[in-house]
Amino acid sequence: MASVLLEVEELKKYFPSGGGFLERSTGSVRAVDGISLKVYEGETLGIVGESGCGKSTLGRSILRLIEPTSGRVTFHGTDILKLRKSAMRDMRKEMQIVFQDPYASLNPRYTISQTLMEPMEIHQLYNHASRKQRVQSILERVGLDPSYASRFPHEFSGGQRQRIGIARALVLNPKLIILDEPVAALDVSVQSQVINLLEDLQADFGLTYIFVAHDLSVVKHISNRVLVMYLGKMAELASSDDLFFRPLHPYTRALLSAVPIPNPRVKRERIILSGDIPSPVNPPSGCVFHTRCPIAKDVCRQQVPEWRELRREHFVACHFAEDVDVETNSLPLGRR
Amino acid sequence: MASVLDVQSLSVEFQVNGRYLPAVTNVSLTIEQGETLGLVGESGCGKSVTSLAITRLLSKTARVNGKVLFSGPDPAQRNPVPSSGPEEVSARNVRERELLTVRDKDMQDIRGNEISMIFQEPMTSLNPVYKIGSQISETLLLHQNISPRQAFSQSLEMLKKVGISRPEQIMHQYPHQLSGGMRQRVMIAIAMACNPRLLIADEPTTALDVTIQAQILELMKGITRDFGTSLLLITHDLGVVAEMCNRVAVMYAGEIVEQGSVDEVFFNAKHPYTVGLMNAIPKFDATSKERLQPIEGNVPSIARMPKGCRFAPRCPHVMKQCVEQHPDLFEVENGHQSRCWLSVEGEA
Ligand SMILES: Nc1ncnc2c1ncn2[C@@H]1O[C@H](COP(=O)(O)OP(=O)(O)O)[C@@H](O)[C@H]1O
Ligand SMILES: Nc1ncnc2c1ncn2[C@@H]1O[C@H](COP(=O)(O)OP(=O)(O)O)[C@@H](O)[C@H]1O
Ligand SMILES: [Mg+2]
Ligand SMILES: [Mg+2]
Repeated sequence: MASVLLEVEELKKYFPSGGGFLERSTGSVRAVDGISLKVYEGETLGIVGESGCGKSTLGRSILRLIEPTSGRVTFHGTDILKLRKSAMRDMRKEMQIVFQDPYASLNPRYTISQTLMEPMEIHQLYNHASRKQRVQSILERVGLDPSYASRFPHEFSGGQRQRIGIARALVLNPKLIILDEPVAALDVSVQSQVINLLEDLQADFGLTYIFVAHDLSVVKHISNRVLVMYLGKMAELASSDDLFFRPLHPYTRALLSAVPIPNPRVKRERIILSGDIPSPVNPPSGCVFHTRCPIAKDVCRQQVPEWRELRREHFVACHFAEDVDVETNSLPLGRR
Repeated sequence: MASVLDVQSLSVEFQVNGRYLPAVTNVSLTIEQGETLGLVGESGCGKSVTSLAITRLLSKTARVNGKVLFSGPDPAQRNPVPSSGPEEVSARNVRERELLTVRDKDMQDIRGNEISMIFQEPMTSLNPVYKIGSQISETLLLHQNISPRQAFSQSLEMLKKVGISRPEQIMHQYPHQLSGGMRQRVMIAIAMACNPRLLIADEPTTALDVTIQAQILELMKGITRDFGTSLLLITHDLGVVAEMCNRVAVMYAGEIVEQGSVDEVFFNAKHPYTVGLMNAIPKFDATSKERLQPIEGNVPSIARMPKGCRFAPRCPHVMKQCVEQHPDLFEVENGHQSRCWLSVEGEA
């Protein structure tokens, strides 16, 4: 197997709770609550889970765009949470992020050229002439006409803006790119163009991706391995095929069974979860999923399930994953 | 018996800088009682404008042409207190009206009563300063001859019907105190309060997580089944169409480009745009990783509609004729139509 590029250990990010006038102002929002994972060089690790489960907070904490509360992040052997500001800035050359809404993340008063030049200027890379050249070649590489360099973000469509966001992430030649819902705002025809582009860039530049999304079909398509999160915690982690065809966590099964499949002849057993996700301010005791879990028992309310490797490279946090395993043949992914 | 909704050659143009630009062109569709019709297409294709034209909610800058025939209960014979089950609608007490020409006052009477709507973001249609209970009651009081007390208890019943737990408490809460999924249930409760014949849902689950989407879709399925309500379901998600709809109309650049039963359209798609949409989405149940086949280019802006076939600039099968001549909706098979020169008999 490839070498480990990034290792995250027991990462936590607690936000002070806003304490609206109806809530008790004590306590904190446990947005990310003990995540440990490895990302291997050249792979795509998908992260899925419902909104508010902590996907974006995890991505931002890894890059220290927000400071984690505790834990360790090791990138290429360096514990980056210990780095000082300037050393961290150097490190960021290697780790970039692309956001869902490219428009919000692009400076409206900068031309595309200025947007792409800026990171190279900050890091004092290349001379002016080669920076210019680099802008041209990267624009071309992401499928944009290099003559667009002098235009402003508002002159572009959503798909083109996302290409610009990707170009900006690429300009420093990073090893790792965190893609936070990069295609969620795009229509399907454009979404597929961007997904193909990301796959090509990964192959050409040997990139490693963390791909955050709530669209399970997209994550399944692009990921080698997938992490399922629930309320800031890890529910399940496995290879894409294992996770989607042999899921072990009842939450994963419910999530998969909820995805509408574009095939009117497929009839599936749907596991409808009752209610909404509980608040991360007062997460449920024991297993955080027990309030919505169709197979929860007493032990689930009392004891936090252990994170265990039930099958090779297939991790799950559920007291009854073995029972789920037995039923695996009647799976949510109804095969024809 | 007439269709519940029969839209004939509906066109909408918007006045922009002194020019009229075509947002919706020549759209014809029908929905039968209890039927769910999906209206699918990418953003900007005219789905919302079509539904707003049907319900006459468009701004003054819009010029609307065509006919919107709606068969609803004859106002003269409508039972003031709704029965608990599906409303008996027989040919005898149904009257057909053309919605684009009825008086404003009659249209207000039809909206929220015989035709209800739910939108993607319930927060924009719920009033933030009124409690949930009064918002449902208000709809009932507006359209039915009942007392506030009756309205209150019927509202509570509606909340139960849409599967809201602790309905008594929710009656006294404000919209911002509810989650997105709960708000959408409340919207459905309001929409269904007067037992409408037609429900128009514009991307009702797009803003929700899949598990909550599954709950809401299940609820809407139950409603069409139990009340015989017809549903116009607007979505960009082919999965939602496959799951919910009897028939589907695919829109592109303001036009219906393909229409038919869900089975026909999914397994015998004729229009290159429909085929393109299906190939562009990742297959959830595929074991091997196939490269996605995107549709190149973008949806045209309404200021620059192509002259011939509007899909021609992006079409992998484009021919000389496509650029020059605008294709009609050709009948491919009984009830299955495609707006493509390749769908003309003998050429497919
Ligand atoms: N700056 C912040 N202050 C307080 N709470 C926050 C902040 N950012 C995120 N949260 C909360 O943390 C949780 C996780 O949010 P997020 O990481 O954005 O989830 P996701 O990306 O999975 O939708 C949510 O409950 C969210 O409300
Ligand atoms: N009030 C308006 N004035 C001008 N153009 C409009 C107006 N409303 C919608 N449009 C345009 O009409 C087209 C169809 O829009 P819409 O029906 O909202 O698309 P959809 O719902 O399919 O995403 C779009 O190009 C949109 O920009
Ligand atoms: Mg997020
Ligand atoms: Mg719309």
